[in-house]
Amino acid sequence: MSKIDPKILRHKVENINTLPTVPGTLKRLTTIIEKPRITLVEISSFISNDPALTTKVLKMVNSAIYGFPGRIASVSHATMLLGLNVIKGLLLGVSVFDLMQKTMNGLYEHSLACAIASRVIAQKKGLKEPEEVSVAGLLHDIGKVILTLEFQAEYETAMSEAKNKGISIYDAEKEIFNATHANVGGWLAEKWRFPRNLVEVIEYHHRPALSKNASLETAIVHMSDLLVRARGFGFAGENLVPEVNPATFELLALTEADIRDVLNEMESSMEAVGDT
Amino acid sequence: MPKISVDKLEPGMKLAKPVLAKSGMIMLGEGTELSAAWIERIQDMEITSVFIEGPTIQAVPKEEALAALQERFAKVEDKPYMNLIKKVVEKHIEGLYE
Ligand SMILES: [Fe+2]
Ligand SMILES: [Fe+2]
Repeated sequence: MSKIDPKILRHKVENINTLPTVPGTLKRLTTIIEKPRITLVEISSFISNDPALTTKVLKMVNSAIYGFPGRIASVSHATMLLGLNVIKGLLLGVSVFDLMQKTMNGLYEHSLACAIASRVIAQKKGLKEPEEVSVAGLLHDIGKVILTLEFQAEYETAMSEAKNKGISIYDAEKEIFNATHANVGGWLAEKWRFPRNLVEVIEYHHRPALSKNASLETAIVHMSDLLVRARGFGFAGENLVPEVNPATFELLALTEADIRDVLNEMESSMEAVGDT
Repeated sequence: MPKISVDKLEPGMKLAKPVLAKSGMIMLGEGTELSAAWIERIQDMEITSVFIEGPTIQAVPKEEALAALQERFAKVEDKPYMNLIKKVVEKHIEGLYE
């Protein structure tokens, strides 16, 4: 199987809006969020002009994933409360939902559970913006969406390689793409003008020691991804629990009781979103 | 906490999760004991099921869930901290069946 040139891969990712496989709704959204000086008001009216999007966003912010179940009535309220970056991330999250289900069944469940775990750990660690970490958890594997969409056959090979050799999908991706979903996600997050810390979380969630500006947030998503896989929620390419980065585990210093709490919150929140 | 189809609701059941309107606003709060009138209202809303207090029925039998857990951890069990994490998750999964 010939390898894919990572330069071509990066070029494709950075010109995602010209790819025929990417649906129009996502292209319209990414055109908006890429604007250099987009304001909350502009984003708010973009959402409000689309009834289906409005419903999806309100459902998401009112779900147990963000700490405000059942309390946000309007898009403008949601944008004020959550801020630009969280709203941008959320919009992407709800917009790639269908794509995730289509290209990798179970990836959305994996991502939702990771968003919940990330918020709970962020709150435990006293981070000022737990919703931002939660959005990072929601989007951490977004690179997989683009890879499965644009390189379907190659990605299926990667998945069967992972299965047959008993290796992680991350390592199987490296063999075929010379890059991973974490690279792809990082390129996308940069292109979409997410703040540096969010780019780093996505780019380094499998190698948390490399994050310079967001080591705690990256550690949280690294740990959340692992706990979601340990519990067995969803599917992210293969069914293996990755090993925890020991320094990351020590940085987070979660007690057994903390981990139990994360699992319990994940359990009840996932049950509650199960019917959407 | 089992999810029950709205046509199977009976008076006296308690909501384990709030019933939300389409907008996501709370219509009936968590812990509400359902009366016949509430049940009728819920059936008129555009929802198919609600969460009721009580133990959840797990989709997979316990032995199967625990075997899958062993498999997921098989390659990393002896790595630092992984055994600790596995033990906590194992207890958690066992707890889902009590
Ligand atoms: Fe990942
Ligand atoms: Fe993941």
